[in-house]
Amino acid sequence: MIEAKAVNFAYHRGEPVINDITCKIEDGEFVALLGHNGSGKTTLSRLFMALVHPRSGDIFVDGDNIEKLEPADLAHQVGYVFQNPDLQILEDTVFAEVAYGPRCKKLSETAIKEQVQAALQAMGLENLADAYPRTLSFGQKRRLGVAAALALNPRTLILDEITNGQDEQEKDDMMDYLQKLNKEKRITIILITHDMNIARQYAKRAIVLNDGNLVFDGTTQDLYNGVRDLKEWGLTQPIMAILSAAFIISAPTVEDFCEKLCLKEGGER
Amino acid sequence: MKITAFTQLITVLAVTTWVFLLPVPAVAIILVLELALLLYIKHDRLTMAAIGALTVFTGMMILLQLIFGSPLSVSLTGGLRMFVMTTAFLCLLAATKIQDIAQALVEKFHLPCEYAFMLTTALRFVPDFLTDSATTLDAQSCRGYSNRGNVFKRFYSYLAVVKPLVMRAVAKSDTLALSMELKGFGANTYQNMTPQRLCFADYLVLFLVMLLSLYPLWSKYI
Repeated sequence: MIEAKAVNFAYHRGEPVINDITCKIEDGEFVALLGHNGSGKTTLSRLFMALVHPRSGDIFVDGDNIEKLEPADLAHQVGYVFQNPDLQILEDTVFAEVAYGPRCKKLSETAIKEQVQAALQAMGLENLADAYPRTLSFGQKRRLGVAAALALNPRTLILDEITNGQDEQEKDDMMDYLQKLNKEKRITIILITHDMNIARQYAKRAIVLNDGNLVFDGTTQDLYNGVRDLKEWGLTQPIMAILSAAFIISAPTVEDFCEKLCLKEGGER
Repeated sequence: MKITAFTQLITVLAVTTWVFLLPVPAVAIILVLELALLLYIKHDRLTMAAIGALTVFTGMMILLQLIFGSPLSVSLTGGLRMFVMTTAFLCLLAATKIQDIAQALVEKFHLPCEYAFMLTTALRFVPDFLTDSATTLDAQSCRGYSNRGNVFKRFYSYLAVVKPLVMRAVAKSDTLALSMELKGFGANTYQNMTPQRLCFADYLVLFLVMLLSLYPLWSKYI
């Protein structure tokens, strides 16, 4: 559980980036953190991870104030996956790369092996355990980043633009793995994204930031109702949301929509 | 009054020489003039941070010299000289575009353009490198990296930050080399740029530099 209470933040005595934000993310939620570039999404997530500390207000992770903590202290509670996977690849094999975190925590070799294997399996990388990480495809590198974070058994994962630069298949694979983690292991997922379709399709809750202010906190269904004007927050309604609203059909994907539309029109697929 | 990169480079080289030839009070006056000039050219947060960092570094240098047995006056003079030389380069970088410096090096100092380009590219990489370094540090911290412990422990654990950075730098330079080659780098680099012509201000500054450079010799021998 992550909770922000009246959090304010600014970089280097500059303009405020986060203004008086209060929100609570419960265990097992799948939350999309949305907003235009520079709206404060990444800064808020960095505050959750203790990469930066609030100027005022408090952040609690699993009930504990993280004011005095460093990211390394939180790594077993919150996993953070950065945008660029190349900037953290360190080891010569996928296995060793994922084992870096547990080794930092000085776990026993048996525990390390178990946790790494579980993390690789969760992200579908078990067959690539001996591969050289830099030769992986971009999508696999992103999954490796998630596996590296998962190896510490965190209860929350924060993913910064995790689907950027991936093809449709890789995006789907990544999101399916994340959904599975959320549903089966009840890992809280906080997804920072510009992809409205992905947010609509996978997240149950949306938090929207606009110029450092929290302007929406509710269900994605409510946000993407097809008629709400999101332009003032720098967002757009996904095409599927607009179509669903126009045809009064609730469908998360194009396939679902077509199927329901055919049924509605009395046709056959 | 705008002076060319050539004149600025000559002035910086002259200042570097003066700090060793001139007496300490004169070097201190140069420092005051340099700082005033630097703050006139650029007085943003970054410049203040650079001056602050340089002050700290100079302090450390003085301290080290004292620890290793140098007299206080020698340590202070050494620190002052280093500070003046570095500030001269800060003024140069604040006042001139790196491309102009490279062009002056090729045109006036006849440095091969590949070397000039290497120099400017290295300088251009510094901010990128610093950003990458901060991101890598954050990324590794998020999966358990901590720089707590004694110096040796910290040094060893810092490899977790250095290694990805080196790999990234190699990959970046490879991409840059390839893209430069594809753009025809080396064929006529710096040949199609407007030549930097010296104007009255340049001649005036160069004359003053020459005068000041000759003064110590004149005062000593004539």
